[in-house]
Amino acid sequence: MSVDITMPQLSDTMTEGTVVKWYKNEGDRINEGEKLADVETDKAVMEMEAFTSGVLAARLIAEGGKVPVGARLAVVATGKEDPAQVKSQASAGSAVKAPEPAKKAEPAPGEGTGPATATAVAAPVAVAPSPSASNPVAEDNGRPIRISPLARRIALEKGVDLSLVQGTGPLGRIIERDITAFMAAPPAKVTAPVVSPAAIGPGATQVIAMTKMRHAIAKNLVASKQTIPHYYSTIDIDVEELSSLRERLNAILESRRIRLSLSDLLARALATALLEHPALNATFDGTNITRYGDVHLGMAVAIPDGLIVPVLRNVNRMGLIEIRQRTADLVERARAQRLKQDEMRGATFSVSNLGAYGLREFSAIINPPQVAVLAIAAAEKRAVVRGGSIVARTMLTLTLSGDHRVVDGADGADFLRTLKGLLEEPGMMLL
Amino acid sequence: MPVIEFREALRTAMIEEMERDDRVFLIGEEVAQYDGAYKVSRGMLQKFGPQRVVDAPISETAFAGLGIGAATCGLRPIVEFMSWSFTLVCLDQLMNNAANIRYMSGGQIKIPIVFRGVNGIAHQLGATHSHRVQAMYSRVPGLVVVAPSSPYEAKGLLKSAIRCDDPVIFLESEKILADKGEVPDEEYLLPLGVANVERTGSDVTILSYGRPLTRVVRQASEVLVNDHGIDVELIDIRSLRPLDLATILASVRKTHRCVIIDEDWGYCGMGAGILHQIHKPTFDDLDAPIEYIHCDDIPVPFSHDLELAMLPSLDGIVTTVNEMFGR
Repeated sequence: MSVDITMPQLSDTMTEGTVVKWYKNEGDRINEGEKLADVETDKAVMEMEAFTSGVLAARLIAEGGKVPVGARLAVVATGKEDPAQVKSQASAGSAVKAPEPAKKAEPAPGEGTGPATATAVAAPVAVAPSPSASNPVAEDNGRPIRISPLARRIALEKGVDLSLVQGTGPLGRIIERDITAFMAAPPAKVTAPVVSPAAIGPGATQVIAMTKMRHAIAKNLVASKQTIPHYYSTIDIDVEELSSLRERLNAILESRRIRLSLSDLLARALATALLEHPALNATFDGTNITRYGDVHLGMAVAIPDGLIVPVLRNVNRMGLIEIRQRTADLVERARAQRLKQDEMRGATFSVSNLGAYGLREFSAIINPPQVAVLAIAAAEKRAVVRGGSIVARTMLTLTLSGDHRVVDGADGADFLRTLKGLLEEPGMMLL
Repeated sequence: MPVIEFREALRTAMIEEMERDDRVFLIGEEVAQYDGAYKVSRGMLQKFGPQRVVDAPISETAFAGLGIGAATCGLRPIVEFMSWSFTLVCLDQLMNNAANIRYMSGGQIKIPIVFRGVNGIAHQLGATHSHRVQAMYSRVPGLVVVAPSSPYEAKGLLKSAIRCDDPVIFLESEKILADKGEVPDEEYLLPLGVANVERTGSDVTILSYGRPLTRVVRQASEVLVNDHGIDVELIDIRSLRPLDLATILASVRKTHRCVIIDEDWGYCGMGAGILHQIHKPTFDDLDAPIEYIHCDDIPVPFSHDLELAMLPSLDGIVTTVNEMFGR
């Protein structure tokens, strides 16, 4: 039978997408999981994988073509049907104008009696598949991850993301021991390249076109600020104890090369506090409020000319080490723009952490449909009053932005009080 | 326990069975007056007389056919071939008649017969006398195919083969007939269709049988265990048809790796057929592709060096197994 490939919804806000590049020509054999095309969404250029195997019978959208989500992009012949016929039917029945294919293939001998459109299709050649096994590169193209069946089975059972696992078997194949090692230790760290913006000379100007991502950010934030009545609640937290706890834990974890950050402890506390205050661990679609039994924490990550919010899912079920490892991985891949769509959606609450910039406090804009966001500033030594004397303590200022339509100020304040309690007495998280 | 040669083990098996059952007789080229081309039947003519130890003319078709005919009439012949390579001239008797008569007679006529002799590459016998016939016969429904690797197994399996009501292809090797091993005085039988786990291990299952097992596979396993820290599970397949899949699959599911080693050609070889039986049931248990180490795809050379070079080598096995672990 023939199967349609449609423009996928690759982000919550995506309504249309552009086919940037096709990796397969009409008549090519495609395998499930193979890279089919690059699609530009409002946020990023993403790879589109084939979800079915067969022969790519027709490409209905040329490179550069922009179509709404759900529009047909291509048709795959998955059985014994003639791809040329599938193409002619697909082209005839297609509501979207099919641009002329970029290159015309020579009609195969004896094909003259076929439908006119078929002449533009490279007829699949009825010969044995090329011996790609002898060519590791070709095989790599066909199957991006080389993995043993056993390792694949274990990874599936344990929910291991194979794109993070380094294979050490023959030809770099992921084998059982790699999955075992991955589950026992964090993946190797990769440093993101530093991009410095080009300097603009005196008297010169520079006009920069909005990137897709910039456009999406602008659209979302305007919608957020225009729709959501934000309120802001700020609280100072004494993190002296928390900081020394972190140091003690890090001393213990040093041999395992794990170094917890204050944000990790904060994420842990947030998970506990949010489950106690489900009003903030929620989404609002304008009609209904949905509350969640798990905490999926969106973490804003700055990338060159933009912002990506990977989601740490089920943070309420994680210990600190897992939080550290998963966060490091998400942030690293966010910076490399290598996140999967699923890893950027479904947050129930978000944080924006600008502590590294030394800010005393700041406020953040809510990312709908979430109903709140927490701005995390820098932990710093401040002079505070304790028992009538001025002492130096490590202090951290948090600012909660709440959607007043669904979360009242008292709810937000109550949540912050719980959070403060957990952070100032970290042992509370054990309760 | 007495230590005897492989050929003596075969001889005592035949003698015991001929003493036990007077329907059993031996026929073959030079098995009687010359005591057998490889002296397997030494002294048997004196013991049983020319009625039961029969020198055959040099026509495999004739004496294989005579054996099958005798079996249809209720006797239990042992047919010795000087070399299994020579059975290429009597394939019709073995593949058509021996294998099919029971089936085509609707089970009315059984063929309790053993065809035995030396098989495979010995030493400088050239291309025409070095055939390895195991895959050819193991693919035929109706036949049983056995390849022992020690005197103990030779005796126990040959006795079972003689008592089997179906035709048994019994594959020996010229190069292991002088091998010595412990064989008990008391009577014992080894079942057909059962593999022997020679060494239990957890890292890789090595499957082999017959001559290659004795020539190179056991030694390679030792090297892998002692020098490379690879915990080998070594299985002597013993029975090529029926194949003891239960034992083999359980082992591969445990070790997640499998190497098959024989001295057949690789393409359509014995190991290729075994591999096909294993790979699908164990697919999700495999941590590496199943390896098949076999002879080079050439006629067997007469030259000593070239003959050795075409055979699976100890180094080759050790390298292949290490590569399965990515080293």
